[in-house]
Amino acid sequence: MISVKNLSHIYSNNDKLAINDISFEITKGETFGFLGPSGAGKSTTQGILTGLLKLQKGNVHVAGYNMNKVDNKRFNKIGVSFEQSNVYSKLTAKENLEFYRKLFDVPTREPEELIKLVGLEGKENDRAGSFSKGMKHRLTFARSMINNPELWFLDEPTTGLDPTIAATIKEIINGQKAKGVTTFLTTHNMYIADELCDRVAFIIDGQIKLIDTPKNLKLLYGKKLVDIEFIDNNEVKKETLKLIDDNDKKRMYEIINKYKIQTMHSKEATLEEIFIQVTGRGLI
Amino acid sequence: MIKKMFIIFGRDFLSSRRDAMAVYIMVVPLIMAVLVAAFAPGLNDTTVNIAMLESDSAEHIEYIEQYAKVEVFKNIEELERRVNKRDEIAGIIPLGDGHEILLQGNEADIIEMYAVLLNSFYELGLTKEETTATMISFGRTIPPLKAKLTNMLISVTVMLSGMLIAISIVEEKNDDTINAVNVTPISQIGFILGKSLLGSSVAMISIIGAIFITGFYNVNWIMIVIIGFCSMILSLVIGFLQGINSDDFMEAAAGVKMLMLPIAGSIAGYELLSDKWQWTMYWSPFYWAYKANDLILAKIADWPTILLCTGLVIISSTVVFILFIPKIRKGLS
Ligand SMILES: Nc1ncnc2c1ncn2[C@@H]1O[C@H](COP(=O)(O)OP(=O)(O)OP(=O)(O)O)[C@@H](O)[C@H]1O
Ligand SMILES: [Mg+2]
Repeated sequence: MISVKNLSHIYSNNDKLAINDISFEITKGETFGFLGPSGAGKSTTQGILTGLLKLQKGNVHVAGYNMNKVDNKRFNKIGVSFEQSNVYSKLTAKENLEFYRKLFDVPTREPEELIKLVGLEGKENDRAGSFSKGMKHRLTFARSMINNPELWFLDEPTTGLDPTIAATIKEIINGQKAKGVTTFLTTHNMYIADELCDRVAFIIDGQIKLIDTPKNLKLLYGKKLVDIEFIDNNEVKKETLKLIDDNDKKRMYEIINKYKIQTMHSKEATLEEIFIQVTGRGLI
Repeated sequence: MIKKMFIIFGRDFLSSRRDAMAVYIMVVPLIMAVLVAAFAPGLNDTTVNIAMLESDSAEHIEYIEQYAKVEVFKNIEELERRVNKRDEIAGIIPLGDGHEILLQGNEADIIEMYAVLLNSFYELGLTKEETTATMISFGRTIPPLKAKLTNMLISVTVMLSGMLIAISIVEEKNDDTINAVNVTPISQIGFILGKSLLGSSVAMISIIGAIFITGFYNVNWIMIVIIGFCSMILSLVIGFLQGINSDDFMEAAAGVKMLMLPIAGSIAGYELLSDKWQWTMYWSPFYWAYKANDLILAKIADWPTILLCTGLVIISSTVVFILFIPKIRKGLS
């Protein structure tokens, strides 16, 4: 569905490469997570794949189209949700979607149905300008599904949403996945990525550090961990130790013998922890 | 593509209806036309009013009507009442073999003279053809001030329609919606043309409406539409550029103020410069558009002149358009 070879991109007002020679493939029906800290180049990559940014260097094929010579008809099978919500403030939620659906040549979904789906029921006839940030974001997200896309680009679909609504959005993405939609999901939310993605790519400073399934990553990097909370000098301290690491094991005995233990949990490494291990950097 | 252009148009119209400034721009030319229609005739209507009686001979009334505005009354009482009203009107009524001139008393001398002379000519059976003077007509049959005001109104209308486009581009920029439209099957050219529809239809409707309201029904409509359409293209281009280069309405409005300069300059140049210096305005498309409209409204336009003006407007518009199309495209992506 998507094939990217040796893609690089540089912004004219920036002398640093925003994307530095990345390559990857996404197969049909796959949910592909693009994970990385702020400024890593995630949105830039989505911009190039959707054609909003001009391809400068590299070979990119999207939904059977070579991105060197673009044809707008391809958008009939593509849906794009933006990092920054972008809806017409002067139009109501419904008018926004009604307008948008008419721009497609393929069967489209009912605006009311989509508005309901993202939990904006009752707001159909309110102007989008009166919406909160999160509501606008949901409307932008809903709009991206209006043409029943086969290929779906989601840039931070859950950022800035409260957990319940984020869970709803996650369910919607899951539902689309079940229908065989290919999804390019950009996020720094590792839990979402973990639950939704067939494969994830770690991107940092415009370079892909690795691509693998979340399961494999956990097998490879996610050795069993133990979180220990203990009291040292009337102070609660917390340490995370790897069960297979000899030094960590010694440290654990030490803690158990020397201090009063408050809590102790064993757990699997999260994708976030693996990310830190692999890239040496946090996600924010 | 045509269908999608109209979808863009429909949306722009919906948004504009909810924008006070855009609504203002859409209605203001028509209001101004009403004002011109209401006040301009009074300003320069030099026709003399004559009151006559129904019982007078049809031949007499017809003769006077050629040279004055005649109001016909049933009886002498009504006629006297009319003459006694504040404005300037003289009554001519039959009396025996001849006629009597009725005056309120405060009319200008010229009115009195005109009524007396006109009646004498009738009684003497004189016609225009019998004069020994040679007639030289400059061809103007419309009160010039009214035509000038209408023409200026057209120039302003055309400029405002560009402003309408600028407003709607600024809206797309503020809401960041151009990106959303750019990931639909509509082509960029389709989008640009669709976005032009609101400004152009408002311009054409306002021009035609203004000409109707001001009463120039029998001008050459084809000429008006052609020259209106061409000057509109220029204002569309300017509207796009302003929209793209401004981040908010105030900035776009400031851009329009700048545009007033060449427009006002061209009009002033055309009206005030002597023939010897007219060439200094030849660079300006607004000059050619104004000149063409001036000739059309005065009903002395001929096709070669109009086509020349149209051609020059198109050439300058196209030059501006070609120079800036990369910028427009870039600004919209
Ligand atoms: N319009 C722009 N002009 C110049 N530089 C830009 C522009 N957009 C992004 N960049 C730069 O390109 C790099 C990648 O940015 P990008 O927006 O792709 O990051 P991101 O991974 O999406 O980050 P975030 O998680 O904050 O959305 C950054 O260094 C950023 O400063
Ligand atoms: Mg981003």
